[in-house]
Amino acid sequence: MENFYIKAANFIPEINFIAESGELSISGESYHEYTQEFYQPVFEWLRNYLATPGRTITFNFKMYYYNTSSSRRFLEIFDMLEDYQNNHDGTMIINWYYKENDLDMLESGEEYAEDTGLKFNLIPYS
Amino acid sequence: MNRTFSHHGFYSKLKKHKINLACQGMVSQDLLNLIGLSLKRKAVDNEVIARRLFGIVVELAQNIYHYSAEKAYSEKDKCEVGVGIITVAEAVDNYTVSSGNMIENTKATRIRERIDYINTLDDEQLKQYYKEQRRLPKPEESKGANLGFIDLARRSNNSLKYSITQVNEKHSFFTLSIKIKKETT
Repeated sequence: MENFYIKAANFIPEINFIAESGELSISGESYHEYTQEFYQPVFEWLRNYLATPGRTITFNFKMYYYNTSSSRRFLEIFDMLEDYQNNHDGTMIINWYYKENDLDMLESGEEYAEDTGLKFNLIPYS
Repeated sequence: MNRTFSHHGFYSKLKKHKINLACQGMVSQDLLNLIGLSLKRKAVDNEVIARRLFGIVVELAQNIYHYSAEKAYSEKDKCEVGVGIITVAEAVDNYTVSSGNMIENTKATRIRERIDYINTLDDEQLKQYYKEQRRLPKPEESKGANLGFIDLARRSNNSLKYSITQVNEKHSFFTLSIKIKKETT
């Protein structure tokens, strides 16, 4: 399967999905006015990728800022990953990075962990 | 009546109210990026506050973009988008970010009820309400996430201040103000 890449711009994150290693990363800022349209190809790629059971996936989230509309999209991504883990023999490692003084971002990670059955590694960086 | 607009009067009025940033018209994601940079420069000693301020500006601006009853044509979007006004005022120990835009009179009651309800919630209840609403499918007519007001309340640790003033038989002017402390607690 092909890799998936979107270059970061002012209001969109870098998205870097490497099919073979299962290393999927989203980083930067996300406040596109039309997040549903923007994330559409991301969801399509993920649906295809997750159609093969038994993969080991490392999902890295390293966001500096995202708006409420992106927050919904991320929940949808985590729901897909949870379903894959529980029903399709997937092994999931979720790394949620937050800047060490950014308690808001830490809390956001904790809330996603509570909302899904996934285990989150909450990782500070300086 | 032939009165010219006084830029000096406008400038003085903003200054008197300690408004150091004001944008009127179409506040697009491109403009938001520039506002973000300018806020980072301003609150340079406190990155957390700069980011919170920015988050508030984004939610307010995107509310206007998607929901303002007054529209202008956007060449980039190839459609009409909402216009309004955003201001950031700075006092000794806090910032106030405000937005103003036209709404249809028929929407006024729903907005009032939603904000009044959010203002009754404490931090923990706000968190639960946010999570609960994020789980729900968003209403059909909503172009955003339907989470903006809750997010604003969570970021500010203060109640949301608003006013809705009827302008004519169709429209009202909706002002929303969020205050945040300069120091993180």
